This record gives sequence, structure tokens and C-alpha cells, in this order.
Amino acid sequence: MRSLRLASLLGVTMLVFGAGAALSAPAQEVVFTSNQFTPVTEQEWARNTLLPKFTEETGVRVQFTTENEGPYVDRLLAETKAGKGTIDVTGTLHGIFPVFIASNAIADMTAVQQRLDARRDRTFFPDLLKVSKMEGIQAFVPWMQATYLVAARKDALKYFPAGRDPMRMTYDDLLQWGENVRQATGQRRIGFPAGPRGLYGRFLHGYAYPSFTGSQVKRFKSAEAVEMWRYLRRLWGVTHPSSFTYEFMAQPLLLGEVWVAWDHIARILPALQERPNDFVVLPSPAGPKGRSFLSVIVGLAIPKTADNPDLGERLIEYLTRPSTQVMTAQGVAFFPVSPEAAKAAPTGGLKVVADGVSAQAGAPDGHTALLPVGLGARTGEFVPLYVDTFRRIAIQGEDIPRVLVDQGAKLDELYRATNAPCAPPDPPQRPCVPD
Amino acid sequence: MAIADAEALTGVTRARVNWTPYLLVLPTLAFLSVFFIYPMAQAISLAVTDPPTGALTWAHFRRMSSDLYFGQAVRFTLIITAIAVPLQVALGLAIALLVNTRFRGHTVFLYLTALPIGISDLAAGMIWLSILTERGYLNAALQRLGLIEQPVVFLTLERPEWLLAAIILTELWRATAIVMVILLAGLQLIPKDYAETAAVFGAGRWQTARHVILPLLRPSLQTALIIRTILAFQLFATVVTLAGRQIPVLAGETYFWYSLYRSPSVASAYAVLILLLSASITWIYLYVLAPKAGEVRL
Repeated sequence: MRSLRLASLLGVTMLVFGAGAALSAPAQEVVFTSNQFTPVTEQEWARNTLLPKFTEETGVRVQFTTENEGPYVDRLLAETKAGKGTIDVTGTLHGIFPVFIASNAIADMTAVQQRLDARRDRTFFPDLLKVSKMEGIQAFVPWMQATYLVAARKDALKYFPAGRDPMRMTYDDLLQWGENVRQATGQRRIGFPAGPRGLYGRFLHGYAYPSFTGSQVKRFKSAEAVEMWRYLRRLWGVTHPSSFTYEFMAQPLLLGEVWVAWDHIARILPALQERPNDFVVLPSPAGPKGRSFLSVIVGLAIPKTADNPDLGERLIEYLTRPSTQVMTAQGVAFFPVSPEAAKAAPTGGLKVVADGVSAQAGAPDGHTALLPVGLGARTGEFVPLYVDTFRRIAIQGEDIPRVLVDQGAKLDELYRATNAPCAPPDPPQRPCVPD
Repeated sequence: MAIADAEALTGVTRARVNWTPYLLVLPTLAFLSVFFIYPMAQAISLAVTDPPTGALTWAHFRRMSSDLYFGQAVRFTLIITAIAVPLQVALGLAIALLVNTRFRGHTVFLYLTALPIGISDLAAGMIWLSILTERGYLNAALQRLGLIEQPVVFLTLERPEWLLAAIILTELWRATAIVMVILLAGLQLIPKDYAETAAVFGAGRWQTARHVILPLLRPSLQTALIIRTILAFQLFATVVTLAGRQIPVLAGETYFWYSLYRSPSVASAYAVLILLLSASITWIYLYVLAPKAGEVRL
């Protein structure tokens, strides 16, 4: 009886003091939105690993919301329109920032960048800083970067064209590889994320087009482009016929439906983490005009309507700290934006990815393509133009030059209406229109 | 109000007006206005106005109808509805009649068949995807039974009819239960006397079902048909999961225009089209299934 009374007394005391502590120090909260980390595993990692460390250190809670591009962009723009907002920090692809700038939604980050530089514990790759400056302001602080690569089962390598080097794969090698697998097994084992929310469109405009034509937009209708589409038709013939349902290639790779897959590294990583010894990561293929690959840059910005811009800046400081960058790379395979963090040696599945990334970035014939910027509110129309072109040519079997004229006219209209400049590797003309 | 005015005119005090029914429908009305009527008006206005100027325009509808996926989306939505809804109603009716015979263990059977109601359409799509993919349960089972040597790729863009079949199968599994529950509720409202009277007059089982039960079940059938058809026009998650955009449907296109192309105006045009289709189909059902003069109603 006595011990029970003691226990209840203790309980009440704890309750009173606990409540008192909570009341005396109102918990601070910073609201962070992003369209990155949307897959559930990445969300979990952000909520359970990445952000609690910040809360531990500063006592500031982070309310983290990640959504698909549509609702994500709309929320910030709605707050701007309303003139008052809740979002303190936002992190997204560099190609989306022009949409925010067009609506005057985000603050100039120059001063934040200067204060980060003054800490002297981190620098940023200069080419990323260059990309962060647009329309006369610094739109974002570089946060992380990513790319797209080919992942393959090790036992599929025996079908790789004899005498050729997988680390220097060409588009012809890839086709032959798929053909060899098909002849040996009767199955089509190359896979692309061609599902509705897959990133196959990025393959078309950022990889195939520049590798075959040296251009994303200007040479859209060229003879080389016609050649490329003929090639893609043949490649589709050795591609797994369920590819139109794939959105994350890790799953079909693990199931064994697909042996060779192209996708965003973050969407391949789960397969490599589960079975790091079974897969290799290869650079994307090279075409007649070199080995083009997309560099995906993710940046952090503070909205003009932010409630707590100071807390937002603290979160940005934490997220861009070299140790946090290393943690991010290990956790979700987004790579560092600081040379200080890039030096850290990756392990496990990430090591496999890192080898592929450096083989791709360091290839003598490699060149970077960037996501288009400047299409403003119509940014979302760019990629579907390429995917529709693919559908008409490779799936519906329409005449290639005619489809290219048709779709080229839409591309022309899009760029003229928005007066947007070309993205590399095209020359920086404005508006950027197909020849 | 008309009643209140009439009463006021006849000199009865206003205090006697019974406001209770109005108060009771008020929350529903408020809910409908905020979450249905207001967004609907907004969608219609988005679909017919030019965003920067606010001028009236048909451009979004023109853009919608000239889109690569538009024709196919209309076609596939109608095909899926035309095949899935009658099957669901027939199957739902059969199960409801079976359960209504109250055979031994019919409650367990009822709960089992009603289970899919609790599963979201996306989850249903995922379940059937895991059954039908190349490395799915169906192929594994067929292989174990020795019926096939190599897994069969059921979900392939080269066989759109297979994709359609997979979608319809999933829809049947997912949505027959709701039809069954509505019809079962309707069946249980029909007094036993009718069937007994029919039996006295010498009607067989089939004749009773055809001439007594079915006509009395008309209101429930109407409800089930309307709900299922409207939901079929909104069909989206199962299709996207199983067939990507190879089988485009109207609701899916609405979503893609909003979230992929970021064009709320064209997405609204699609939404308005779905609204018009649903409204006209509902009207047809109400008209066709309305009891003819001289028919008995419960």
C-alpha cells in the first residue's frame, strides 16, 4: 500500500514537472517542405535519422512535409498569394526554382550563403553555386546532388557483348546486351522506369538526345534524332514489356524481372543496399555525340513569407554541414555538394553506386546536361513532350519524321511562349527553339 | 419558407413553425456546400477561363480533346464501365440472393465477401499487381503445378486486352461487395409475405425472383447502379497500378494534367467532362429504372 502511494506521488510529481517544463519553454518549430524524399523509406529516414539530430542539437522541432511536385509547388505559391505563410525552408530541384522566382515566392539567398561561407567549415562546388544564381539572385543554397545510372545483375554481365568494356558501354552495346540475353533466355531483361511517375522522360531528353544529337532541344527534329528514335524502337524490342508499370527500378531488379535497369540512383539504391554483392552500377551509355548524363541539383531556399526565417537558416546550416552531407549520401544516395564531404569513403551499397558515378562523371567522353530552367509555370509540360513522342513512335508505331515535326512544333510553342533559354549542352539561346 | 409564409398569412403565430428538420439538414447542407458545391463551381470556372485575364475561353477543352491520350481515355473509361458494372451488379445480386437464403455459415461467408470494401483501390491494385506480375503469385503457382515452364508476362503493353482483363478482374474483386451489401439490405426489406403469396399462387423459384423480388428490389438496384457507374468514371488507382498509362482513363488524365503537366485548367476540363458524364448516366438510370404506371412500389 505504502509503495503504491509513493509510486503515485512520484507519478504526479513527474506529471506536474513535465507539464511545467513543457509550458516554461515553448517548443520552437521549423516547417520544412520538399518534393524530394517522397518514397516512404526516404521519408522515414529523414524523419527518424536526418532531422532528429538537428532537434537534439538545437531543441527546434522540424515539421517535415514531402509531396509530389504538383501539390508541393502549389502549397508554396498559395502561401505567397495569401501574403502569409508557414513554410520556413523548402528544398527542391534547381529546375523548379524559376517557378518560384516567377511568382516572387523565395528570398535572395546571397546573405545566407555569405554567412555559411564565413563559418569556414564548408565550401561548395563552384559549378553548383553558378547554377544556383538565376534571374539576378541566388535562388538556393546547394543541398545535394544526384544522377541517373545503369544498374545490372552481376550474372547478366556474361551476356555483355564480347570484347567490350561495360564501364565504357555504348548504346549499341546496350542493345546487343539485351539481344544476347533474349537469345539465350527467350526473355527481355532490360528495364526502364516508363510508368506514369517513372523518370523515363529524363532518359529521353537528358541522356539519349544529347548522346545522339549533342542537344536536348535544338536538334529535336534533326537527322541524328531520327536515327536515335530508330535505335530506341529497336531497344524497346529487347526491353521488358512490363516496363510501363515500373516507377522504381529497385523492385524489378530485386525480383529478377529486370537484369539491366536505368534509373535515378536513389531509386536503384534499395536493391544495392539489400544485396550489394549481386549488382554492379555502370555509367550511362555513350552515343555518337558522347556520354551525356543529367546532373540533378537539389537546393534549399527560404520563402519570402517564412514565419521563422532565422530558424530556417539554422536548418540550412545543419543540412549543408559536411557531416550531414555524408550522412545523406549513406542514407539515401544523394551525393555531397561540398568537396569536404565528397572526400568521405562510401561503404556497402553506396560504394557500388559511387564507383558507377565516378566512372560516369570521369569518363573522357562524358558531358553534363542540365534540367531545363525558365519555363516558369509551364515547366511540367517539358518532359511529357518527350514521353509522348516516345509513345507515338515506339508504341503506336507512327512515322518518325512526322511525329518529330508535330512534337517539335509543341516544343517550339512552349519555348517561345515562355521565352526560355536553352539548357546545356545546347547553346544558351533565348528562346530555345528546335532548328 | 413557403409553408411558413402560408401559415403567417393564415394568422398562425410564427413560433409554431417546426424548424427541426431544417436544423437537421443544415450540417449536411453546409458540408456539401463547402466540400462539393464550392469546389465544383471553382473547377467549372477554372475550366472555362483563361488564367491570366479571366476571360471566357474554350481553349482548355480544345487542348484536352486534342491530347494524345484523350480519345483513348474516353474509350477505355466507357469500355471498362460497360463491362465491369453489369458484371458487378449480376455477381453482387447472385451473392446477395445466396446470402439471403440464410444457409449455414452465411454470416461468415458474408463477412468474407464484404472484406474488399475495407481495402483502398490503390491497395487493391497493388495486391493484384503482386499476383499478376511476371514474378507474381499466379506465375509461381502455375509453375509449381507444372502447367508452364517459363513465367508468362501477363501485364504487357503488347496485349492491351490482357491489361483490360486484369483491371476488370481487380474491379470485380474490389467493388462487387459494395453492390452486394446494398442489394442485400434491399432484399431484407422485402417482407416474406410476397414470396409466400407467390408460392401460394404456384410460382416457381425463378418466377418469384423474376416477377416478385426483382421489381421490388428496383430502388436498391438503382442505387447500386448509380454508385457503381459514377465510381467507375472515377476509376484511377487500380488502372495506374496495373497498366500505367497504357490504358488511359479519364480520372487518370485529370490527375496527370494536374500533377505532371501542372495545368489545373485542363485538369478541370477533364473533371467537368467526368461530371457531365456521371450526371447524364445518373439521369438515364433514374429515367429508365423509374417504376412504370401501375407497378407496385414498396
